[in-house]
Amino acid sequence: MTGNVTITDCGDSALIAKAVGMEAEEAWRLVHALADALDAVQLTGVHGVVATYDALLVEFDCAGTDHDTVRRVLWHEAARIRPGSTRQAPSRRFVVPVVYGGEYGPDLPEVAAQLGLDESEVIALHSGADLTVRCLGAPAGAPMMDGPAFPRPVPRLASPRTRVDPGSVAVAGRQAVICPMPSPGGWPLLGRTPVRVLDLHSDPLTAYQPGDTFRFVPITPEQWDDYPDTPLAACHG
Amino acid sequence: MADTLTIRTAGITTVQDLGRVGRARYGLPANGAADQHSPRVANVLCGNDERAPLLEITALDFACIPSGDILVAVTGAPADVTVEGVIRPQWEPVSVRAGETIRVTGIRQGLRVYLAVLGSFEAEYLQGSCAPDTILGFGPTLRDGDQLALRTGCPPIDHPYSRIPLFRLHAPAPRFPTATAWTIDVTDGPDRAEFGDTAARLFGGPFTVSPQSNHIGLRLRGDVPRRVSQGEVLSRGVPIGAVEIPAGDELLVLHRGRGVTAGYPVLAVVTATALSTLGQVRPGHTIRFRHRTVDQAVNAYRAERNAIDLLRTRVRTTFEALDIPVPDAG
Repeated sequence: MTGNVTITDCGDSALIAKAVGMEAEEAWRLVHALADALDAVQLTGVHGVVATYDALLVEFDCAGTDHDTVRRVLWHEAARIRPGSTRQAPSRRFVVPVVYGGEYGPDLPEVAAQLGLDESEVIALHSGADLTVRCLGAPAGAPMMDGPAFPRPVPRLASPRTRVDPGSVAVAGRQAVICPMPSPGGWPLLGRTPVRVLDLHSDPLTAYQPGDTFRFVPITPEQWDDYPDTPLAACHG
Repeated sequence: MADTLTIRTAGITTVQDLGRVGRARYGLPANGAADQHSPRVANVLCGNDERAPLLEITALDFACIPSGDILVAVTGAPADVTVEGVIRPQWEPVSVRAGETIRVTGIRQGLRVYLAVLGSFEAEYLQGSCAPDTILGFGPTLRDGDQLALRTGCPPIDHPYSRIPLFRLHAPAPRFPTATAWTIDVTDGPDRAEFGDTAARLFGGPFTVSPQSNHIGLRLRGDVPRRVSQGEVLSRGVPIGAVEIPAGDELLVLHRGRGVTAGYPVLAVVTATALSTLGQVRPGHTIRFRHRTVDQAVNAYRAERNAIDLLRTRVRTTFEALDIPVPDAG
């Protein structure tokens, strides 16, 4: 038994492992290394592995394996992972043009008010630093990032929208995201990017992976049409 | 030219399979048949791989006509299944001649009917599955006049005495409640403690399924538990079946189309067997939750899958005896 993770039953077909007693960066590295290790051993019956910020969900067919088997493998692999020993894929950088505010980011005024900032200060913080992608999440492989350096967490909307436009750039808590496809959503919207986040005809569907960084760059509404059918792509150099 | 299955009355029907597994790491939900048990049985009754594409018919009447002789199996919610106007059984293989009309009407008690064809048919795949993903916009709802290319045919299987069922395979068919009240089994969720004493409300009164329910999640109204702890929850993976309470007066039960991450505490998790049941519950129906241990839930699911394995053996034996061509695996 190791002290770096807790493992909890999550119904009859899943376990959730959580990194404990370490910094956020280290926790993230641990759960993703654990996901890599699980993928590598290809354990019979395991069919879903979701590593996020500090947690790892492992879904399996409980007619094909059992909680004890998966738990043992998780303990075993967690014990082998040492700080600094985790794989580090080369990080790539994506530059993402964003039209902030107005119809593109209807919640910008509210978020600014909640944070006690001007709208321009919110934009400056959101676009002022590279944000690291921590996982691909909901909806549809959305890049889930560390949030910008806001003074405090941003509350989710009291009433989620039934439809959020694709390319919407949102924040919640201490997280940031781009919504790749039209979908319901409860995160406040700051702006929208004209570039296409996801391509149904590529495999995987998205160009980015955990560890890559995104830099948001403000553009004007007039510049929106400068990006016709432009896919999101990593910068070179 | 390959034979086709022409859709005459599409209703709300999609080409479906058991779902897009193994893509959760890329943020893609599983999707696939809302009731997993019934399509498994339908495919096994046709000698198919249980993951083969089949039709998921939701609520409304459906009709189709094959251009060649085929063998079909219809499972799921009770309905009136006819071939050329003659009632045919559900949960058994049914031989259909070229040009005969197959109708599925009067779907009742449950919500979804599954129709498999021996050898299955051609389907478009995305990331290893033909299951529709409404968020990605993949997988169209069928329309009247659509044609599906059949992969193989099946010579007619005649019986000297019509009206006597040709097959008696005793497929494991679930019981559908005659009232609109369902029992849904759950185990404790990882965050049960965050709801304090109010967690017990889950097993108190009934909950009513709201019209805003679909394959992504079911919204339930009733005396909902309340989260007593506060604080930020970082997005993390949530399993299919997670019972969450986002806000307000509704419970949310995540189903197969659920986004893989969420930020709400998980009070309970619907069991694998009960998820298939939940895939049949209609808006307006009421459900009561029943507490199970993880061991009880696992045993129930294994029994269900074991019954399908036994059925597969009986189908193989019967098909060999009747000289029915067994489709290629996969």
